[in-house]
Amino acid sequence: MDRIGIVLVGAGFIADAHSGAIDADPRATLIGIVDADPARAAAFARKQGGIRYAPDLDTALRWPGVDAVILCTPNDTHAPLGLAVATAGKHLLVEKPLATTLADAHRLADAFEAADRVLVAAHTHRFYDYGRAVKQTISSGAIGRPVLVRLAILGGWIWPDWSAWVGDPERSGGHALHNGVHLLDLATWWLGGEPTGVYARGRKQTAAELRIYDYLEMVVSYADGATAVCEMSRAHRPGSLAQRELLVAGTAGIVEQGWDGESSLVFGEAGTTTVPAAGGNGFAAQLGAWLDAIGGAAPAMPVADAVRAVALGVAVEESIATGKPVAVTA
Amino acid sequence: MIRVALVGNAGIGSQDHQNSMYRPAFERHPRFELVDTAEEAEVLSIAVPLAERGTAVADAIRAGKHVLADKPLAATLAEATEIERLAAAHGVVVVPAHHQRFGAALRSAIAAVRAGRVGLPWNVQCDFVVAGGDPAPTGELVNFGLYPVDVLRALLGLEVHRVHATGTPDLVTLLLDHEHGVTSTVVCGRVPALRDVPPGGLAVHRYRISGSHGVLAVDARKPALQVRTTDTFGPVWTGPGTVDVLLDVLAAGIAAGRAALGPHDAVQAQRVIEAAQRSMAVGQPVAIGQPVETGE
Ligand SMILES: NC(=O)c1ccc[n+]([C@@H]2O[C@H](COP(=O)([O-])OP(=O)(O)OC[C@H]3O[C@@H](n4cnc5c(N)ncnc54)[C@H](O)[C@@H]3O)[C@@H](O)[C@H]2O)c1
Repeated sequence: MDRIGIVLVGAGFIADAHSGAIDADPRATLIGIVDADPARAAAFARKQGGIRYAPDLDTALRWPGVDAVILCTPNDTHAPLGLAVATAGKHLLVEKPLATTLADAHRLADAFEAADRVLVAAHTHRFYDYGRAVKQTISSGAIGRPVLVRLAILGGWIWPDWSAWVGDPERSGGHALHNGVHLLDLATWWLGGEPTGVYARGRKQTAAELRIYDYLEMVVSYADGATAVCEMSRAHRPGSLAQRELLVAGTAGIVEQGWDGESSLVFGEAGTTTVPAAGGNGFAAQLGAWLDAIGGAAPAMPVADAVRAVALGVAVEESIATGKPVAVTA
Repeated sequence: MIRVALVGNAGIGSQDHQNSMYRPAFERHPRFELVDTAEEAEVLSIAVPLAERGTAVADAIRAGKHVLADKPLAATLAEATEIERLAAAHGVVVVPAHHQRFGAALRSAIAAVRAGRVGLPWNVQCDFVVAGGDPAPTGELVNFGLYPVDVLRALLGLEVHRVHATGTPDLVTLLLDHEHGVTSTVVCGRVPALRDVPPGGLAVHRYRISGSHGVLAVDARKPALQVRTTDTFGPVWTGPGTVDVLLDVLAAGIAAGRAALGPHDAVQAQRVIEAAQRSMAVGQPVAIGQPVETGE
């Protein structure tokens, strides 16, 4: 069988995780790299053993052997670049969020439906060991019907400087769209329910001048009465803090993983730090599921769920702005 | 010795905290002795059904007795406020049984936060989840929602001015806005019986206090041993009992004329609980007015 030829767009922070996954999967091959910054594209291409590179997507879409695109560019570029991929008739794995507005999310969904190509948004936490283990535990019926999710992903580092696109709500969509969607999607997937409303609070903790909320408390209500409490933080001190905590309560039991649930501890001269256990590669599992879907399998991350995550993220930003609960319709 | 009479052995639903908690704590406490009638007593330990509690406490105060009151102190904010006024007017000590704030880990956490160990706190997350036992016919928000709300007040020293509540009365999520922009989220309620958690015991009881200079993570089920046997696996509490500390506070309060925990704490907790009930009813956040002046 021919390998699926992939072009990676955006040679930034997260690109290595995707190229590593491609390298590890015998069904895929990396054809080339695109980055608006030609020097970055060239450096990445060299590092990958001299693959093709270009400063724009249109050029890359004409390279021979290209079947699919992985898009890891800033969030506001997902819609225009993604639509170009659909027009070219290629499959797409797009970094989260699918888009920064609900209208753009629907536009992308419709375009890939019309082109009969696979569109998957990279909600990577669904493919991490913990994300899958919680889902399997709930699906097994062990805790009955889940009625509460509490999920916290807490960090103490803020993005590097004032020029970072992530700190610009126009480019990132705001923190609810940027990182909040990870938790909003994961909790909703675990619960398996239909979100009906969101109430959220946000803080600008690290600096009053921030344009995005570095701490988010996002509470989602579901049609069956379930609740999800999701905390996303880049605001915590000390800056080295990196914790994840989860609690799922059901009608017949609870699932918990504390902040030290998958780590050993080092008591060192510089303080106490965690050593996370070795585990599966979420990006490889995510790539594998996308390739499966291209091969005809049901997608592990359906487009409708990615659209819903955008709807939830938009509702979070609206709830913070108004101080009121916001009804959700995906 | 301080003479105590036990009044009532009922509460919400099937509760009998008088015999399960207060009587044994009074019996083992070195400063108290039990007497048979209210006339002989300086202190009344009142655990009557919630609907009658406010009246019973008010009557005791008018009779010049100090009071240990089962929680909640009264069924309504109006009654709690009246109790606060009466207690001040009659110069007696009224201690509502908010004993969870006296958990050993929480006492040191409260001291640490108030001493600035995490800098200025800006958020608290709390889970107060009981497993098994008899569900409260009033819903668990009314039954034990005041416990975490009271702990938050002790931790932060800040009043709540806005409440949003969601979920169900048996497993409720409270989103509280405190003074100075501090926020907190409390998950509070009852889940089904869990293996190795005694019926009605706390399956999860924790607080994460985030501050400008650090984070304090409190597992309020500590200090405890982890004991595993062929058939069981669970914690064995090693700290002083929370009700024993509550009685220490009562005894010290009687000696000093004012207790470290009083009706004002019950009033402030009740404000939050009633606001949460209104929020659940209307599906919107509810503002809490300024505290009523009591002349205290
Ligand atoms: N799934 C995850 O866990 C995860 C983690 C981090 C980032 N992300 C997502 O990945 C995406 C990229 O984030 P990052 O942190 O790698 O960003 P980054 O800023 O490090 O890299 C983005 C790269 O895209 C390039 N670029 C910008 N506009 C372009 C365009 N129009 N055409 C081609 N290249 C362009 C930039 O030059 C840069 O090299 C974002 O959507 C982000 O939300 C996902």
